[in-house]
Amino acid sequence: MTKRNSIQVLKAGLHSSVQDLGCTGYRHLGITTGGALDRHALILANRLLGNSDASAGIELTSGIVELKFNRDTWFVLTGANYRISIGQRDIWCNWRNKIRAGETLSLRGPKSGMRAYLALEGGIVSEIRDDTNNNLQLKSGSLLEARFSGVLGAVLKDGDRLELGQAGTISKPIGAVQRGYSNEIRALPGPEMSLFSEESKKAFWNTSWQLTNESNRMGARLSGIALSLAQQQDMESHAVMPGTVQVPPSGQPIVLLADSQTTGGYPKIATVIEADLWKLAQTRPGEEVRFVHVSPSQADDAGYEWEQYFYRLQRAIDANG
Amino acid sequence: MNAETSLSGHNKKLRMTTEQSPKVFRLGESAVVIDCTNDFPQASRLCIQRKIWWLADRCRQTDEFIDIVPGMSNLTLFVKSTNRINYWLAQLGTLWLQAKEMSLSGRNVEIPLVYGGEFGPDLEQVAKYHQLSCEEVIRRHSSGKYTVLFLGFQPGFPYLDGLDSSLFTPRLAVPRLSIPAGSVGIGGNQTGIYPASAPGGWQLIGRTNIPLFTPQSIGSPTLVEPGDTVQFIPVTSLEFKAK
Repeated sequence: MTKRNSIQVLKAGLHSSVQDLGCTGYRHLGITTGGALDRHALILANRLLGNSDASAGIELTSGIVELKFNRDTWFVLTGANYRISIGQRDIWCNWRNKIRAGETLSLRGPKSGMRAYLALEGGIVSEIRDDTNNNLQLKSGSLLEARFSGVLGAVLKDGDRLELGQAGTISKPIGAVQRGYSNEIRALPGPEMSLFSEESKKAFWNTSWQLTNESNRMGARLSGIALSLAQQQDMESHAVMPGTVQVPPSGQPIVLLADSQTTGGYPKIATVIEADLWKLAQTRPGEEVRFVHVSPSQADDAGYEWEQYFYRLQRAIDANG
Repeated sequence: MNAETSLSGHNKKLRMTTEQSPKVFRLGESAVVIDCTNDFPQASRLCIQRKIWWLADRCRQTDEFIDIVPGMSNLTLFVKSTNRINYWLAQLGTLWLQAKEMSLSGRNVEIPLVYGGEFGPDLEQVAKYHQLSCEEVIRRHSSGKYTVLFLGFQPGFPYLDGLDSSLFTPRLAVPRLSIPAGSVGIGGNQTGIYPASAPGGWQLIGRTNIPLFTPQSIGSPTLVEPGDTVQFIPVTSLEFKAK
């Protein structure tokens, strides 16, 4: 067995955590999908390094993160815009670069956006992946244990050590252009949209919503005109998912994110489309978003645009990498 | 869209069942929901849920779903391929008519519970809301035998059937940002136990220290499963050990 790369977390920053693309199949036990809030940013970072899309990286939320490497490692930071430096040398976001053994990678931000993704060549090894980053065939019990007691999803602390998978054969830097952020978030009407008052329906689509600083990985909590049902009624608990926009009696909507609960009892006014969910991960507290009403076929088109983006990206990587 | 498809009846008999027939609709891009709430109160919550268990079991056999998530009198199916959404939108109502009450062989699980005080900060408010004494709320809550209808919300959280209707209490207008693990609450017509610290909108009346979710467990990671029954045993302190 080859000696693994490892990195030491000198400074963990605030709410930094190890994230992959999460897992499904356990929602009937109340177990949420989890994973990176901005999935596209993590996939982009992994693609640039030749990692599998679902390889685990570090999700950064704010503060100063410093990581010391014990072996030469290619890395890339995507998502929010951070100041990246190795010693006196500044590094661009969205470009893969090599850090040498003994050097310290310093990340400060975000300058814009909210969450950045640091992917490392070979990915971060967790209990559910082997050296080559393939999924291990685990029994469900041990998979759950890894998810709940292991590296994945864990908030980083100063002094943590993370193991990396096998290095690949990268020889030169390449970069990519990220898709632009906008605060227009496309959504489908939710099953209970019709229960809301006419004014509330209009307000939902036509007014701005400010992201509050109570937002976290479970949900983006919004503040604006109080929404109300045309007629008060208690709902039965039903499945919810990342993207569900639920409205508690306070009238202030919550967009559920990757660590959301699996079921809930509040009316669902809308569902943010999968292609735009990342925008909520990149909106900062105090910033405003608007919801844009789309049809399921427009949602399909938006998903297809992401597929095209990654298709073109992969062609460019294959041609230049 | 949230297009609701109900069974279109060509004869009178079918049209009569339409009123209480389930609502079947799409949720987001890749989920389909069947909501059978309208079968209540003609059928009991437990009877409806037994048919939900049957339906979930049927769907599990198809290998077409990423996740099959029962809720209260409803079932959400997360499809592997969105091409199959329309098929399931059309199919679920028909399947519901065939659904049988599935009985799961349940165990009885006793959960010791400290009511009120710092462990149940909303007990007094719940008592006040119903114009009962705290003792009477405790008596009514702990004399129930509750059936686990489904798990959801957070890992191992059981939704329980059997709450005395005189204890039905609306959820909090503003959910708490953090509720301690083991808290027992009432939300609307339901009572349940929070397995882990989490935000939530239920009225908290007590707390237990029995773990509801143990991911390292070799067997089931959850203390209870659908079909089990739960009883709350009032105790005065949290000095007890988990079984």
